[in-house]
Amino acid sequence: MTLPIWDNVLYMPGDVIAAWIMMLLVGPILLLWLSKTKKWPLVWEYMRTTNHRKIGSMYVLFGFLFFLRGGIDALLMRTQLAVPENNFWVFQGDKYNEVFSTHGTMMIFFAAMPLLIGLMNIAVPLQIGARDMAFPFLNAVSFWMFLAGGMLFNMAFFLDSSPNAGWTAYTPLSTDTYTQTEGNDYYLFALQVSGLGTTLTAVNMIVTILRHRAPGMKWNRMPLFPWATLVTSLLILVAFPVLTIALFLLMFERLFDTSFFSGEAGNPVYWQHLFWIFGHPEVYILALPAFGIFSDVISTFSRKKVFGYTAMVLSLCLIGFLGFMVWAHHMFTVGLGPMANTFFAITTMLIAIPTGIKVFNWLFTMRNGVVRFTVPMLFALAFIPTFVMGGVTGVMLSVAAADMQFHDTHFVVAHFHYTIIGSTILGVFAGIYYWYPKITGKLLDRRLGIWHLGLFITGFHLTFFLMHITGLNGMPRRTYTYQWGENLFAFNFISTIGAFLMGAGMAVFIWNIIRTRQSGDHAGADPWQGRTLEWLVSSPAPEHPFTKQPVVDQRDAFWYAKQAGRRMAAGTDSRPAPIAGKTIQPLCIGAILWLLSLSMIYQWWILAVLSGVLVLVMFLLRTWRDERINTIGKEGTADE
Amino acid sequence: MSKQAQALFLDKRMGFFIYLFVEGIMFAVLFATYIVYTPSHPGPDPRDVYSVPSVLLASFCLFASSATLLLAEKGLSRKSMPLVRGGMAATFFLGAGFFLLEIYEYFHYVTEGYTFTVNNFLSSFYILTGLHAVHVLFGLLWMVVLTLHSFRTLPYGLYQEKQKIFQYYWHFVDGVWLFILLIVYLPYIV
Repeated sequence: MTLPIWDNVLYMPGDVIAAWIMMLLVGPILLLWLSKTKKWPLVWEYMRTTNHRKIGSMYVLFGFLFFLRGGIDALLMRTQLAVPENNFWVFQGDKYNEVFSTHGTMMIFFAAMPLLIGLMNIAVPLQIGARDMAFPFLNAVSFWMFLAGGMLFNMAFFLDSSPNAGWTAYTPLSTDTYTQTEGNDYYLFALQVSGLGTTLTAVNMIVTILRHRAPGMKWNRMPLFPWATLVTSLLILVAFPVLTIALFLLMFERLFDTSFFSGEAGNPVYWQHLFWIFGHPEVYILALPAFGIFSDVISTFSRKKVFGYTAMVLSLCLIGFLGFMVWAHHMFTVGLGPMANTFFAITTMLIAIPTGIKVFNWLFTMRNGVVRFTVPMLFALAFIPTFVMGGVTGVMLSVAAADMQFHDTHFVVAHFHYTIIGSTILGVFAGIYYWYPKITGKLLDRRLGIWHLGLFITGFHLTFFLMHITGLNGMPRRTYTYQWGENLFAFNFISTIGAFLMGAGMAVFIWNIIRTRQSGDHAGADPWQGRTLEWLVSSPAPEHPFTKQPVVDQRDAFWYAKQAGRRMAAGTDSRPAPIAGKTIQPLCIGAILWLLSLSMIYQWWILAVLSGVLVLVMFLLRTWRDERINTIGKEGTADE
Repeated sequence: MSKQAQALFLDKRMGFFIYLFVEGIMFAVLFATYIVYTPSHPGPDPRDVYSVPSVLLASFCLFASSATLLLAEKGLSRKSMPLVRGGMAATFFLGAGFFLLEIYEYFHYVTEGYTFTVNNFLSSFYILTGLHAVHVLFGLLWMVVLTLHSFRTLPYGLYQEKQKIFQYYWHFVDGVWLFILLIVYLPYIV
């Protein structure tokens, strides 16, 4: 649509205009509702919180909103692909490129990551008997950096400058020679800011898990979700700095005219290496926490301890380790030579072994157990076959010779949705249903939960199973149309129906949350007859969950204490709790980084320098008003 | 420091060490980038660009600053503020000397026409050493703030923590320079 403004003609695509209209309608209603229900003090409270549960809840909330945004993109793509030679709304050509780039980036960085980090924040400190994350302030900074990045990334769409070079931003397409508009600048700064937040979260998680465990919680007594979190955080530590520097170089490429990745002297494959050295560990960063959630869920609802605990831990570590040695399997068609392709094919196949061990151990955990078919457990049951299918196609793709055929087709799209939705997204939902009492104090409705799962998983398999076939029939990914007579129509049409079924599943989930809020049952401290320490504290988890850390004398100590009819002993000499406080500084840091990124994107250098100085001022403010000035020397007495 | 305060300090120290590990990875990727693109054609060769005297002088300043920081560390454990301030002042001036020499080096190269975008060798050189120089600058500002802290009525334990964290940072930045010397300059100046 073109709008004449004075002498200029402004072109705005219809979807952007629709989004603006939606925003202008929904925004005031939301603000009005916040005022009507007197929610502003609550909002203000969350803006300044450093408590792990509250930060985790915000991660989950915004991660879920971004998940919906990415889901809408998916529906738009599926609608465009429903029939051959389709011309749905504006989603052809470059506009389609923008939609799939946004969808991929949104889902990986601004939906899957924060949803998992949110659940980690909520559950991990409680599960290990810690009283908060090791660095509460830093935790809040991480969150606001994620949100700053997410806001930046979403803003791009409203200004009609969505990134359009795919979530991998392959060079030279993503350099300013081929994509001059600001879209990919938004991509790189949004990822940079939120990625630094993720790195800081990993630092925080590692210190929390290494140093804040309850007395007696040895390594071999720790539940598997904290274990998975620990391995994931170690992966983040190595993978994300590589992304940071890759984006840093791309920034110089786009804004300051270097030619690392393009031109005669440049090497576009170097970007691919850097991106996948980050990118492949990233998929394990997404999968491992979900494995941890499922291990806890399956064990709880089978009334059995996890089968093969040591093997489970070792395979987590092994997957993490091997995850760094497989990146070039994304680049089989680049032409790295038979030696490189063979090496990366074999390491990729090797990953199937520890993953297979985990799958069998989940099955053996259920065997002879008293299985209760609660909603989280049903998600776990849906996860196992789905993920195994994704794993099998993964091994197929690792065959370098065959990959020449599969590469960049819908077969690959099917594969990674089977693995990422199969593990991460189902895991996140299992986690949300499982820990909802710890977040809000209420249990989500079971009947609606089953509808949610049923619709979602049916729609999922309809959508993505058929993509294997369209892919093998040669349908390329990232292409907005196909022809009649290519034997693709029926499959694509059913895929589209499946996508809308998934959407319906999500609508049921939202309805479930609203229903539960209005009339849900209040949950006690331990609604699921849990095995781990988070079920020891009341629901929702209080700000200071353990005045004295509990003493852990065996794995699943809480469960065995309940069986023996005794209470868990409280430790005598617990270490000092991290110092929580209320502060607006983390939010300010996020806002300043947002401003800095924006001024870099539009090359407003004066504003960029000013906001850079402001970042330094925030450092100064932080050290100057260190909350420990008032508490140092009193750690033993106060539990603040 | 009480045992309790000590525990919180050890949290902080571990977190900071992990953060330095992250920084190490970032620099490692930049070293890799430098190695991949150096020497690059067309354009100047590193042998023609580097000016040995200023590099050696800058290195001397930075390594000496790590040594003078050890004095401040000694002062910190002996609770002798004059020794801490003296050590810090020496470290600051040596660090500032390094920073100015870096600026001078860049200026010198640029005036000879070896600018940022001439070729990929120069781009990767400027990005790597530039990021390091920014770390030095941040360290200099940090030292100013620490000195201001030392004149406040801050609990000594807390001041000690802040000073120690800075020391780890500064030694790390020095360590990175050692690698820059070995990987960036040495192959092309011997």
